[in-house]
Amino acid sequence: MRLLSMLLLGVAVVLSGCASKVDYGDAQARETVTTDFGSTDLQMIAAKMVDDMLVFPPIVQMTQNRRPVLFVDRIKNKTTEHIDTESITDTIQSKLINSGKFRFVDMTVVDRVREQLDYQSESGLVDPSTAAQMGRQIGAEFMMYGNLSSIVKRDDSTKDVYYKFTLKLLNIQTGIIEWTNEKEIRKTRSKSLFGL
Amino acid sequence: MALLGGCATNSLFVDYPSQARQWKSSLASEATNPAVDQNLKKAASGGDGVLYLQELGRVSQLNGEFAQSREAFASAINHYDETDAGARIQASSLAASGASLITNDNARPYVAPDYERIFTHAYQALNYWADNDVTGTAVELRGAALEQQVAANKREKEIAKAEDDAEENKIDLNQYEGYFQGLDAVAGQVKASFQNAWTFYLSALFWEAHGEYNDALVDYKKALEINPSANMIKEDVQRVSNALKGRKPEDGMVAVLYEQGFVQPREEFNLPIPTVHGVFSVAFPTYSIGNKPRPNALRVLDSASQPLGETVVLADVGALAAKDLKERLPGMLVRQTLRATAKYNAQKKANDDFGSLGALLTQVYNLVSEQADRRSWLSLPAYAQATRFSLPQGQHTLVLSTPGGNATLTVPVVDRGLTVIHAVAVPGRLITRVLPVQEGPL
Repeated sequence: MRLLSMLLLGVAVVLSGCASKVDYGDAQARETVTTDFGSTDLQMIAAKMVDDMLVFPPIVQMTQNRRPVLFVDRIKNKTTEHIDTESITDTIQSKLINSGKFRFVDMTVVDRVREQLDYQSESGLVDPSTAAQMGRQIGAEFMMYGNLSSIVKRDDSTKDVYYKFTLKLLNIQTGIIEWTNEKEIRKTRSKSLFGL
Repeated sequence: MALLGGCATNSLFVDYPSQARQWKSSLASEATNPAVDQNLKKAASGGDGVLYLQELGRVSQLNGEFAQSREAFASAINHYDETDAGARIQASSLAASGASLITNDNARPYVAPDYERIFTHAYQALNYWADNDVTGTAVELRGAALEQQVAANKREKEIAKAEDDAEENKIDLNQYEGYFQGLDAVAGQVKASFQNAWTFYLSALFWEAHGEYNDALVDYKKALEINPSANMIKEDVQRVSNALKGRKPEDGMVAVLYEQGFVQPREEFNLPIPTVHGVFSVAFPTYSIGNKPRPNALRVLDSASQPLGETVVLADVGALAAKDLKERLPGMLVRQTLRATAKYNAQKKANDDFGSLGALLTQVYNLVSEQADRRSWLSLPAYAQATRFSLPQGQHTLVLSTPGGNATLTVPVVDRGLTVIHAVAVPGRLITRVLPVQEGPL
């Protein structure tokens, strides 16, 4: 009997040891699983860029009485990792829109918008008084674009990754870069001596 | 034995080259063999997973299954990252090392050598390229360059460490020197196991097509440094230098990446050590020059049979593999010597405890279990070659001529663009693929 209970206990320990657990975590928590580009990097970059842009004196002045229209070009990925740079610009865009100081046009959906406009004006199914009219969209005044580059150094025991994110705001009419900033991130991994 | 070979997911008792024969021969026919993919996928979850993932990635790529190939290579690259990030002393690898002491080196989890990692990144770049994902291609090409750089930095340290280990265990490495002359012959002129001019050439072509002349110049120069006698690369360096000064070439460029045959597998040779209790066979892997394929060029002709170019060897993969094995030898010799001692002790104990029958059984076990570590990525080509020439804009019909067969292709050429033809000659078949034209800024 005692043997059996010991056995059962053993089985229980082994089973619980193998069972995986799912839990919710804090989306803003510092994530340092690997040196790869991760959520904390994305959040740090977006926060820094938006904070900096919103307090830059010429931008404060420009957005005092109007909400300029921007469009996001793209962030060039010049690193050695496959990074979804669109997700960085999406976060920056959301924060800027929510600040109430900027408006955006989205170049990634132009084709689908055109399809919808064609449907409204040409299909004959839509009441012309409510149909959106062609040629009434607002042109963007500024273009937002940038770069994400990295330098990786690695040896047997450490890996050091340096990321540099550069964001620029260009006045499309004048060609002047109205604002630019960069965010540097350095991540270092040192190997532990012992492990499983 | 055949049964074991069919479903073996490690190389403990079935040597790796005979497992690899299955997927290598499946490439001879155009039809894909689902059983081969299944076996590779199954083996990919084992201790040598990374090796089978590499094979799966390569085999899928050659069969045109780019999504599967991309997935396999991505998993292999994850493996590399995990290996790099792992603790320096791991309980699991200690256990495997312990197991390898009573069986053989094949019990140790496979660690991909640098030259294989570099090929993985280059092939993954070709997968993204075939998908016309320019950013993805660029990322992988940078990854290949990074691997070469890291390999160069760590190489010297590693060799020094292995020699220290040998000294600690009082093993005279020089006594084995004579047995490995074949390795030196196969390694030939190769200076280091990781230097791969072919992947540098591939990335240089890509950067040049996208107007990144600075990056292109650096990579052409690195390729030239590895192959100092290649006149083709000297011209490339000149052309890109001129482009940096503003004199850009007008015509379109066509490049042929030619991969010839399969890299030769490792061979096993036995070093019998007689003792009073019986003969110990100590198995070592090696390469022999007699089995090394000879390079042959791919010639490109236009539709009027006028020659346009002929490929030159940029990476002698067999030599890289041999050089890699030679670099690993000090560590292997230390382990083999320890293993011979462990097995000798087991046999001696059997003899003392169970008499001659016990001794015979352990001796049989020792002979069977003693297998050299013959694992290496075997669907790699024997030689990676390339050539390039310029043509005016338009559609062009080209004839690729190799000793193993010809192919006629119609390729698009765009001014200041790059058209790449990827040609792979496997026994019985010439696989050709035209990759999407690269042009304009990145």
